[in-house]
Amino acid sequence: MNTLTSSDNFRRVLGRVPRHEFVGRATELDRVAAQAKPQKSGRGLLLLMAPSAGVSELLRQTFDQFFNERSEVIPIYFGFTRHETTAVSAAIAFLNNFLQQYLAFRRNEPALCNSALTLQDIVELAPPADLDWIDQLVQLYGRVRFSNDDKELVRFCLGAPQRVPTASGRPFVMLDGSELAEDLNNAVALGTELLHVFGRSNQAFVLAGLRRQIINAAHEAECNFESLDMLRLEQLEAEEANLLVENVARRQQVPTSREVRELLVQQFGGSPFFITNFLQAAREHNAALVSYLDCERLYADELLGGYLRRHFDELLEEVVQQLDTRIALIRLLWEAAASGEKSVSVEAWRKRLRLSGGEFVELLRRLHIYEFLNWNGPTLDATTGSQPWKDYLKVNYRLVVMNDPRALVVADAIADSLKRAPHTMALHYRKLGRFSLRDIVGQFDCQHVPRLLFDYSTFATKYKGVSDDELLEGLKTESEFLKLPQTVHVASCYSFKSDFRQVCQEEKCVVGHAFEDGAYNDAHEIIWLVAEIESKLEVEQNTAELWFERLDSLGHTLGFRRYQVWLISNEGFTTEASSFLQSRGALSSSQHQLEVLVDQVGADKSLQPQPLDEADEFLMVVPMGDDNEMLAASTVEQVARRLAFPPAAINQIKTAIVEACINASEHSHSPDRKIYQRFRVESDKLVVTISSRGILPTNVGSGNSSPSNTENNKAADERRGWGLKLIRTLMDEVEFERVDEGTSLRMIKYLRNSSSNA
Amino acid sequence: MDSLIGATVRSHCVGTTAVVYASDYLNKLTGEKIERECRRQLDSGCRALVIDFGDTQLVNSIGISILLGIINVAEKNGAQVVFSDVNNQTVELFDMLGLTRHVALARNEQEALSNISGLDPTPTLH
Repeated sequence: MNTLTSSDNFRRVLGRVPRHEFVGRATELDRVAAQAKPQKSGRGLLLLMAPSAGVSELLRQTFDQFFNERSEVIPIYFGFTRHETTAVSAAIAFLNNFLQQYLAFRRNEPALCNSALTLQDIVELAPPADLDWIDQLVQLYGRVRFSNDDKELVRFCLGAPQRVPTASGRPFVMLDGSELAEDLNNAVALGTELLHVFGRSNQAFVLAGLRRQIINAAHEAECNFESLDMLRLEQLEAEEANLLVENVARRQQVPTSREVRELLVQQFGGSPFFITNFLQAAREHNAALVSYLDCERLYADELLGGYLRRHFDELLEEVVQQLDTRIALIRLLWEAAASGEKSVSVEAWRKRLRLSGGEFVELLRRLHIYEFLNWNGPTLDATTGSQPWKDYLKVNYRLVVMNDPRALVVADAIADSLKRAPHTMALHYRKLGRFSLRDIVGQFDCQHVPRLLFDYSTFATKYKGVSDDELLEGLKTESEFLKLPQTVHVASCYSFKSDFRQVCQEEKCVVGHAFEDGAYNDAHEIIWLVAEIESKLEVEQNTAELWFERLDSLGHTLGFRRYQVWLISNEGFTTEASSFLQSRGALSSSQHQLEVLVDQVGADKSLQPQPLDEADEFLMVVPMGDDNEMLAASTVEQVARRLAFPPAAINQIKTAIVEACINASEHSHSPDRKIYQRFRVESDKLVVTISSRGILPTNVGSGNSSPSNTENNKAADERRGWGLKLIRTLMDEVEFERVDEGTSLRMIKYLRNSSSNA
Repeated sequence: MDSLIGATVRSHCVGTTAVVYASDYLNKLTGEKIERECRRQLDSGCRALVIDFGDTQLVNSIGISILLGIINVAEKNGAQVVFSDVNNQTVELFDMLGLTRHVALARNEQEALSNISGLDPTPTLH
């Protein structure tokens, strides 16, 4: 887990999150920091960010790290914003920012970073060792400022860090949002100037921005790529994104359920930008996110008027400022995205938008940089882009093009995303639990494997029903081997023919370009066409024929000279289907064969499906009443035995659970009258969570009972107090969590030596 | 547990002492059955109650609060109450909630009966 360690003395200067909560970017942070090492002097680092992957906090955390280290490296962070309108104003802002941060570091006063200082203030605050050069710089600035040479002024401002005397330290400049620098309305191309000034200095620097823009800008500035390093910044992996959601939700005090946290990760594709903004919105709406419905209601609000909408609105306005053209563009973008057509005529768009050649090219360039589409000369593909972008496009299309009633659009947005949510998660879970065809084919590298792993009929005859040990022993005696080719490229069939979208999932059909024996010539080139057929039984001949024809046709259509069809099915193929495939020279495997193959080709364990995090977690939902708490008690008894809790401790856990269930039943006013139980086994403890929907009286959970007037209430309060008292006494840790629409009681029992439990 | 619903509580009298048997799970339902049976025995003239927990695996706080009610009723009737054959975990719970301050514990039914004065050795099944 890439969680950074915290330090008591670590001061947060620019970072917006505490150091220990900055997740998922530890490797990148180390890499950026390494750029400041003396041996990297003079080398620039281009930080190529995928859209919405979030780079700013990474740079701010790097700044804080150097600020706290107090070494000779002087961190400078500058983020370009949309507020600056000209290259000159942006360059002046940079100069001011540089001097303030420099002083803050030299004087070890973090607050100076955010103060409003004039240049005169800066001179007055300069330490004696820096006074001369800063005073000189300010005087020079006064002259250049009024010289009417904008380019010289911009270069002067950007070059200020190079004026720092060596004895004072080494400025390490980190520039954020380079795409914004490029779009400033001025004769001076600031993006190019940045690369000119920093690329030719002898100081290490970082330039971060959208990946497509930075690469273009570096080419336009004629940078020496040999003196530049590159680091790609993608969206967070699921585990890290989950951690981010947890941390941000906690900071924003937004109650979330695990189900919703996982959904957010998938729905936003692990984007720190979207996740953080969405949880910020949840806080502002005072919304708990404990169900898919909570989540999608807020999502619809966001699409129609929140952070998400503002974000995409701003980007679209940058792309095209005229409203009528923007509306026409929304229509084109959505219609192209909805059609699934990956190759749309650019000329057709130009006619529809009625823009001049230059304006149209600029529009396409910006859309391409934001990755709202892929522009490839005469054609474009607008089916790309994140799910939030597509949803934004759809609601906008309906509102401004179709003029649908807003209420209908809102309702449909909620309904659409609610309907999609279970599919999104199902797809995610399927990916977690299964081998990735793409990875398997990608690992082919001239290994020798038993031939029968690609021949279901022979495999079934010899090994179906035998134990794994017997199978492995048997495979050792196999004499016929198949030498796998060396794969050089793998992609989904979708990328070659969009029709496949209608017949299978993207990851279940792949095309692998390969060379036999690793010999790169026409004679050895072979393309593997692989598909995994969904079936709970052995695949029948007609289905096998259908799939063979599909792949065979794909091979013909794409003009592959030599190709190999390989079909995979969970339970293999019937005798007739196997005969048919053999007669066509196609390979066939079952899931079992595939698993063995993975073992054979995959010394690399990355091929193995990752075990689910929650493998040691048991979930149970019981209706309230009818002594159903005893079902929970019996279950937890079985779970606790696995951890070897002594009988006395098991009884304590059981009693605590019974009490928790009674509490939930008696006091929660639950609308669904159900108790949700989660038992999580960890190496040294058992964590039990009992949840219910509904609101608990305010005194429950506080440990104190409120005084009541009637005798009955007194008795009830007393008894309620007993239940909680028992739970607290019997368990090692007890914690109530209140949420808008439910209550959760988390209890932990630690596994100790039996002597201490007796 | 379902088998207990509607079932009567097993009990018998030894002289003026009633022995009432608690079931495997002492909760609201089974507690109230015991309470009803105890009241019935007291109304019939019993002067002492032995509640036997030999079959009891688990008790909850509602069950315990009902037991406290039984002890109160017995005290008002001048009757002694003894709990017999209580397992260690249940004793621990009774201790936590202060029940053991109001009631005597006996290892088994026989010991409970011998602790109670006015022993009549002839059991009467109800």
